[in-house]
Amino acid sequence: MTVTTARPKTSAPARSGHSGPNARGAKRRTSHLVPGGLVWILPGFIISVGLIYYSIVYSGYLSFFDWGGGRSKMIPAGFDNYVQAFTDPTFYTALRNTVIYFVAVFAVQVVGGVLFAAVMHSKIFFANVYKVIVVIPVVVAPATLAPAHIQAWQTDGTVNQILEAIGLGSLAQGWIGQSTTSLVVVTLVGCWGSVGFGFILFYAGMAQIDPEMLEAARIDGAGNLRLLFSVVLPNLKPITISLAILNFITALKLFDNVWLITQGGPAHSSEFLGTMIYAETAGTGRNLGYAATLSVILLVIAVSVSVIIQLRSRERKALIEETPDV
Amino acid sequence: MKKSKYVLAAVGLASAVSLVLSGCSGGGDSSADASSEPAATSGEVTWWGYTPDTPVAERYIAEFNKEFPDIKVTYKNFENVDYRTTLTPALDSGKGPDVFVLSPAGGTPDLWGPYAIDLAPLAQEKLGADWESKFGEGYAKQLNDSTGRLVSAPMGGMAAGFLWIDQNILDAAGASVPTDYNSWVDTCAKITAIGKTCFTMGAGGADTFPTEMFHSIANSVDPNFFIEAATGKAKWSDPAGIETLNIVKKMRADGIISSDALDGTQYPLANEAFMRGDAAMVQMGFWYTQYSGAESCKTSMEAAGVANPTCFVQLPAAFPDVAGKGNGSAYFGEADYGLAISADSPNIGASKTFVSWMTMSTTGQQNVANALDLLPALQGVKPDFASISLVDDSVQKPAIEELISESGSTTQSRQYQTTEKTLDAIVIAIQQVLDPTVNKSVDDIAAELQSSSEASTVGAN
Repeated sequence: MTVTTARPKTSAPARSGHSGPNARGAKRRTSHLVPGGLVWILPGFIISVGLIYYSIVYSGYLSFFDWGGGRSKMIPAGFDNYVQAFTDPTFYTALRNTVIYFVAVFAVQVVGGVLFAAVMHSKIFFANVYKVIVVIPVVVAPATLAPAHIQAWQTDGTVNQILEAIGLGSLAQGWIGQSTTSLVVVTLVGCWGSVGFGFILFYAGMAQIDPEMLEAARIDGAGNLRLLFSVVLPNLKPITISLAILNFITALKLFDNVWLITQGGPAHSSEFLGTMIYAETAGTGRNLGYAATLSVILLVIAVSVSVIIQLRSRERKALIEETPDV
Repeated sequence: MKKSKYVLAAVGLASAVSLVLSGCSGGGDSSADASSEPAATSGEVTWWGYTPDTPVAERYIAEFNKEFPDIKVTYKNFENVDYRTTLTPALDSGKGPDVFVLSPAGGTPDLWGPYAIDLAPLAQEKLGADWESKFGEGYAKQLNDSTGRLVSAPMGGMAAGFLWIDQNILDAAGASVPTDYNSWVDTCAKITAIGKTCFTMGAGGADTFPTEMFHSIANSVDPNFFIEAATGKAKWSDPAGIETLNIVKKMRADGIISSDALDGTQYPLANEAFMRGDAAMVQMGFWYTQYSGAESCKTSMEAAGVANPTCFVQLPAAFPDVAGKGNGSAYFGEADYGLAISADSPNIGASKTFVSWMTMSTTGQQNVANALDLLPALQGVKPDFASISLVDDSVQKPAIEELISESGSTTQSRQYQTTEKTLDAIVIAIQQVLDPTVNKSVDDIAAELQSSSEASTVGAN
């Protein structure tokens, strides 16, 4: 608590310098430089930031129309697109799939990432080789790997062949082409690709932990597991929270793997908001108004969840900072 | 000095905003003036399309250049989805293609028609006052936008509702071409006994190919049902619709439809299985005729992953009368696509020469006919088999001639009278029927199909 109140004080002299002997010169320099700099960055600022916010506002505008794009007629639709979205069962399937995907991938990423990172920090042979193997799925483009995933999971694919070879042929099925398993395939592919990213962050996070802290724990008699759960994991909490936010945003925007493997099917069973938006944008019966509506809803969800996580983390931080005084 | 910087900033700001806004606004409609521009015998034309395949387009262009050597035509082929997402912004920017493919499906004439000039005056000039009757039945009307402008000149038509069979596999299995449900089951039993897939189908994903099988089965149940339901005169949940879905389900249970049908889409899944010689039958439209050629079959097999291919004899066959009511299964067809000329094109004169030669001249249409990709749009033009080399002329030529004859006399549209919403709903219904893990009755699935569909007003009266 005292630390947080002290920090603004350390920065105070810089501000109070304006009232010192050089205050006039500093003020003149500031007023001379700031507008000039602003002038020169303005075009780039407008194009980069302005374009993004323009697009968001324009999407909001489009969401109130039925529009096929280009020069086709824009028919005012009021809130019809929003009503359509909130009464569309596929929309809720997409939201459900987003939550399932997020929870599964995040869990696997954290557990897998921490395990691999912990193993790599211990003294094992060929650690660098293992690191490369774990990280490769992160750097390979989904479009490159999608045919391999399809080959693995299709009816006469590798997974079913393995199941039959080990006497579990009764479990063989059309993994991609069934409503009950298509989401499983998409989620497993997501898990496979995400562990490496978790590993990179957790490995770096573990390297930042003060060795003296670990040594002290060892002197106090902590074993490997105790060390992991009582010292290492608490220190990795900020990384875990960051991964949670990133995974949620990824799940909300998920498109490439799903479209390449299942196209959201069969019968919308593996649909996500990203695939719904794409289908409305690029399909033959395209309705950019409805696609914009879904985009606006996606944006609202993403911003809302980010704000909630931010607020929760501030509350938690404040609680932690208050605890020593109590 | 200070003032000039603010002026500079304001100019920069205005430029940036205008750049942003100009990228998102339409370029205005100049089609009225452009329609009257005369045809030219020199110039450069860029042509964009998702069809035909590049080698076919290059053959067309080579023949065109024999008559018009001073017009350079450059063709760019896109995947279907890429085409839709690329063309609109290109046309909006005013720097799109001079000529582009525009089909009658899914309201496309109203979507891209505003970018195109009205080709009716050109058609009248080339074909006379009764120009509409010179094209295949309904082709010109299907390529009109809702204001009645001919926004795309028909290049050719297509028909669907039949099977393509690999005669080599049937011969190896000692099987015959099925004509009804029971004979189809027998044929499939013989084909699977030699380790081949009987009927390959890609019903997964989001594309609308499965609707063709639904349409064929529905025609066997009741020849009027599909179009009536598509235009709101009948319900998809009527007994004929339920019977159609029940037959789909039975075909899956009896091994006619392969177990991997939901693993992917018709392209590439079913196309490659057939072209690799792994499957004996596939349902494809008239465009598949082109792969009967002695050379084009090799290209298509290589594209499916076959090294040093030996072509097989592929033949069209009527869709079996699966309902067993003696209705057979009528073919359905419509204009496949046409060529539109961009109103913003700086090469309208040369584009008019190219489009009119391709779509309105006997020579141009003869090339279309000989490519065996489309039914020529211009009536009376037929493939010149003397200049076409097939894998087995003696068997394929009469079969293709019969197919052309029957395809040219279809009485039902393929997708022109069916809304995109309905097509999507049919695909979902088929996927649910084929998915063994879906616990819904066929009646419920048909009811959902009805509630998710949207009746078309096209030709409803």
